[in-house]
Amino acid sequence: MANLLWLQGGACSGNTMSFLNAEEPSACDLVTDFGINVLWQPSLGLELGDEVKAIVEKCISGEIKLDIFVFEGTVINAPNGTGEWNRFCGRPMKDWVKELSAAADFVVAIGDCATWGGIPATAPNPSDSEGLQFLKREKGGALGAGFTAKSGLPVINIPGCPAHPDWVTQILVAVATGRAGDLTLDEFQRPRTFFSSFTQTGCTRNMHFAYKVSTTAFGQRKGCLFYDLGCRGPMTHSPCNRILWNRHSSKTRAGMPCLGCTEPEFPFYDLAPGTVFKTQTMMGVPKDMPEGVDKKGYIKLTAAAKGAAPAWAEEDIFVV
Amino acid sequence: MADKRKEPLSEAQRQAYLDRYGLTPAEASYDILIRMIEDMFADGLKTEVEPLPETDREFGRLLDELRPLSADQLREKLIISGWLLEPYGEEQMRCQECMYYLVHKRWCDLPELDLPAKPDWWCRLWRI
Ligand code: SF4
Ligand code: SF4
Ligand code: SF4
Repeated sequence: MANLLWLQGGACSGNTMSFLNAEEPSACDLVTDFGINVLWQPSLGLELGDEVKAIVEKCISGEIKLDIFVFEGTVINAPNGTGEWNRFCGRPMKDWVKELSAAADFVVAIGDCATWGGIPATAPNPSDSEGLQFLKREKGGALGAGFTAKSGLPVINIPGCPAHPDWVTQILVAVATGRAGDLTLDEFQRPRTFFSSFTQTGCTRNMHFAYKVSTTAFGQRKGCLFYDLGCRGPMTHSPCNRILWNRHSSKTRAGMPCLGCTEPEFPFYDLAPGTVFKTQTMMGVPKDMPEGVDKKGYIKLTAAAKGAAPAWAEEDIFVV
Repeated sequence: MADKRKEPLSEAQRQAYLDRYGLTPAEASYDILIRMIEDMFADGLKTEVEPLPETDREFGRLLDELRPLSADQLREKLIISGWLLEPYGEEQMRCQECMYYLVHKRWCDLPELDLPAKPDWWCRLWRI
């Protein structure tokens, strides 16, 4: 039996909603089949007020063994570093977070807000928000760059806005069933099993990407969303086209650009007007190239691809 | 002062199209549209090649100008987009490599233009 405590900081609850949508295993399966004992969770816990406080305090004192501490949402430091804007059980949440993280075997940050600050930490970051161990790309965050949980692992970051339910449940199951040793993390502490490939890996529009045929409106079936609508699929690490959403689709399959929500800079360009759903260009050339491609190579590739593109690439091949 | 380019096709313009081609651009086939474009340049049409839209904001502003135009307002589309019948600049940018160009259909698929184009033509909305 692994004890799990889940708290929320500066968050919209989107990751809780995503987690509750999990199937195979579902949130209930985690309890019945995988031995996860949910001590408390904001949407599932029955306890209120002092009862919750008692659970949290027991986790910190060691009276209850805290195997997994899950945090969703940013750590809020405003005003003036006190964290008083986000109080929980009579104290700033940031103080609970530090003490619970020190007491836990594993600390798991779920969603962009908890991993690197996400939307709340977007400039001008009025709530002085940060992630558990990162603020955007910069390592540190609320727990500091050198933090490791009792298991020896740093915070396990499962980004996303929100994270896919399977990313959450599979990591929780791995940790709860003693297979945390199998997890390898990338430089941003994301499990490599999910975040080594790109959103583009498995996208149904790859042929259109290759032949440089552009989608020019949302929901269009033909074309690739990179050239005009700002798709970040070629430079975003996520399995969104390998592990499908609701088991059958993804943003890009449905004709909606990837916003790069699993990367620390999300939301990109601080949501400045004209930067969302629009490929950012300088003199007609994209500012953000597919990972590993330079401008010269890109221009050469485009000329070759356009010259070689077959006629069918210009048609809507996804017939209903 | 109202921008003359955004006024719908005047009666005189409509009549001029009818006299020369027997129809207006909105009704024209691919080949006739190509002829209309080439004829306009042969008659001395000058388009607004500069300034080039450097940023997406500037690009977006041109699209905003183009969007309200009707299919008949071919001349205005060509002027605003800075259309040319040859490649442009040191790098010889041309439709053939543009993201909006459908090479087999020989068509500009940018919704705000939606016009036939030859591979060696170009306009300032070019992007790669
Ligand atoms: S739509 Fe996006 S993810 Fe799909 S092929 Fe195009 S750039 Fe890649
Ligand atoms: S497709 Fe992109 S924006 Fe959408 S969930 Fe996946 S990584 Fe995030
Ligand atoms: S946008 Fe301009 S350069 Fe691109 S295909 Fe259309 S006319 Fe040609």
